[in-house]
Amino acid sequence: MGLLFVELLPRHGDGGGPASAVLKCRRCRVDAASADAILSRDFRGRFGRAYLFDHVVNISLGPNEDRYLMTGLHTVKDIYCSCCQQILGWRYEKAYEESEKYKEGKFILEKARMWKEAR
Amino acid sequence: MGGFEDDEPPSKRARASSVEPASLLDSFSCLKPAAPLGSTMARPLPSQGKEVMVGSKGVIKRDEFVRIITKALYSLGYEKSGAVLEEESGITLHSPTVNLFRRQVLDGNWDSAVVTLKKVGLLDENIVKSAIFLILEQKFLELLRNDNVMGAIRTLQSEITPLGVNKKRVHELSGCIISSPQHVLLGFSKLGIESSNSRLKLLEELQKVLPPTVMVPERRLENLLEQALTVQREACYFHNSIDGLSLYTDHHCGKDQLPSCTVQVLRAHRDEVWFLQFSNNGKYLASASNDKSAIIWKVDEDGELLLKHTLTGHDKPVMMVAWSPDDCQLLTCGMEEVIRCWDVESGKCLHVYEKSGIGLISCGWFPDGKHILSGLTDHNFCLWDLDGKEVDCWKGQRSSKTSDFAVSNDGKLIISMNRESTIRLFDRETKQERLIEEDNTITSFSLSEDGDFLLVNLISEAIHLWNIRNCPIRVNRYAGHKRSRFVIRSCFGGSEQAFIASGSEDSQVW
Repeated sequence: MGLLFVELLPRHGDGGGPASAVLKCRRCRVDAASADAILSRDFRGRFGRAYLFDHVVNISLGPNEDRYLMTGLHTVKDIYCSCCQQILGWRYEKAYEESEKYKEGKFILEKARMWKEAR
Repeated sequence: MGGFEDDEPPSKRARASSVEPASLLDSFSCLKPAAPLGSTMARPLPSQGKEVMVGSKGVIKRDEFVRIITKALYSLGYEKSGAVLEEESGITLHSPTVNLFRRQVLDGNWDSAVVTLKKVGLLDENIVKSAIFLILEQKFLELLRNDNVMGAIRTLQSEITPLGVNKKRVHELSGCIISSPQHVLLGFSKLGIESSNSRLKLLEELQKVLPPTVMVPERRLENLLEQALTVQREACYFHNSIDGLSLYTDHHCGKDQLPSCTVQVLRAHRDEVWFLQFSNNGKYLASASNDKSAIIWKVDEDGELLLKHTLTGHDKPVMMVAWSPDDCQLLTCGMEEVIRCWDVESGKCLHVYEKSGIGLISCGWFPDGKHILSGLTDHNFCLWDLDGKEVDCWKGQRSSKTSDFAVSNDGKLIISMNRESTIRLFDRETKQERLIEEDNTITSFSLSEDGDFLLVNLISEAIHLWNIRNCPIRVNRYAGHKRSRFVIRSCFGGSEQAFIASGSEDSQVW
C-alpha cells in the first residue's frame, strides 16, 4: 500500500458556469466521473442500469476478458475503484461487431455502485 | 622504417628506430648522462616525403608530438630538459627565424621583429598585417609611456595607419596622444606596467594570431590531456564518483557505483511509510507514516541510521515532511489537517499552523528560512511567517488530493500543480506565469538542487525531465517503473545530481 493518488473532478465550469454533477464511488466517496462525460444512459450492467462514459478517474483496470454481452462479443476490462477496490463497471477494449466499435476505449459505470454528489 | 631512403647508412636507421614513445620516457630518465655526449650524438636527418608517425593508430606526427612535449617542458620551467630534448631528437621547438623573432619581441627590437616576421614564410597577408599591427601597437604604447610623444606620433602615422587594419583601434590610439598623462597611465594599467610582462603577453597574443605550425600554442599538451579526461568522464555511463580523474588509467565507473543492495531495514513505524527526505546536509533522514507519526533518524559515522526522535501529535496520517534550510527545524503535514513545526535537536513541537475549517495538504520552506508555504484543501496556497501569521495567499486550480510545489533557491519562482496535467511556474516579482503542459495527469514532481530541472511523474507510468531555466523544454523521458493507484515520487541524486531514482509499485527502486 501507500499514499493513494486521488484525482478531483472540477465542480464548476471554467467560466463559472453552472455546476456539473459528479458521480462518486458509493462506498468510499471518491470521484469517479463527471456527468458531463456521460455518452449514454441506455446501458445495463451486472446490477441494473449503467451509464457509458468517455472519461473516468480513480480507477484500476483488470485483465482483458472476452464477454458475450447483449450486443455481441466484446473484449473488456473490469474497472475497480482505485481506493476501495470494489468493482464499478468495465472498459470496452475491443468490439467485434462493426456497429459496436464506437464503444472501444469507453467506460461503463454501474448506477448501483455510484453516488451522486448533491449540488 | 619506410620513412627513410634505403640508401641511408644502417647506423642512422638504427638510431631512428630507437626513438619510440617508450624510448622517449627512457631518454628522460638518463638526461644528465646524455647531456655531456650531446655534441657528439648522431642525429637522424629530417625525413623527406612520408612523415614519421607514432602511436598504435598511426595518426600522431612524431615531430608534432615531440614539439608539444618540448613546449610543456619549457612551460614548466625545465629549460635544460627542453633544450636537451630538442638537441637529442633533432626536432627544434621553433625554427631559427621564429626564435630570433621571439627574442626580438622580448627585447623590444620592434623594427627588427617586423623584418624578421616577414621572413617566417607566412602565406596569408592578413595574418602578417594583424601580427605587425600588434607589434607596432606595443611599440607605440611603450614610446608613449617613455614620454617620446613625437616618436609615438611618427609610429602611428608612418607605420600603423598604412597597414589599413583595425581602424577602430587606431582611433583609440590617437586618443591616447590627446589624453592627459593620467589617462595614459590608466590605459597602460590594462597592459601591465612592467614592459617585460606586457611583452610576454604580446607574445601570447601573437601566438594566437600566427598559425600553430609557426609557434606551438601555449599549454597545448595540457589542453589535449584535459580533452581526453573530459571525453572519458562524459563517456562514463554510470559516472557517480567524487574522486578526481587520473592520468594513470582511463576513467570508468562500473555499475557497482550505483547502490543496488539493501544494507539496512528501518523498523520503527507501525504502518505504511509515505514520505522520506534527507536533510540538506545529509546528516538526518525524516520519514512520514500512515501511523500519524514522523521519525527523525540520525546518520552515524558508518552510514547507519539510528532513531533520534519520534514525532507524535498529529491526528491524521503524516503525508509530507520538509527540512528547513538550516536543518534545525522540520515541518510535518497531516493529511488534510495541520502543519507542525518541530525542533530537530530536542524533538519538541514548536508550532502548529492551521486554518479553521480548511485542511492543509502540503508544506515547504521558503529559502530564507523565515516563511513556510502550504497547499490547502480549498485549492489555495498560503504563505505564513514562523509565528503562524498568514502573509500571502493565492489561488490554485487543484485537481488531486495531493499538491506538490517547490520554491526556487532565490525565493522568486513558485512551482505548483495546476489542473490535472499542467504545472505552473509563477514569478512572484514580475507576476509572470509560465506553464508546463503534459500529455497525461501529473501525480508528483520534484525540483533539482540547482533549480534548473523539474522531474515530473505522470499517471501513465512515465517520468519526464524538463529544463525550466528559460522556456520550459522537455529534455528526457523515462519509463519502466510501475504505477497504478499510488503516488510515486522521483528524485535527483548521485554525483552532481546526474542520476534519478524512482519508487515503483512492484517494490523496486528504479
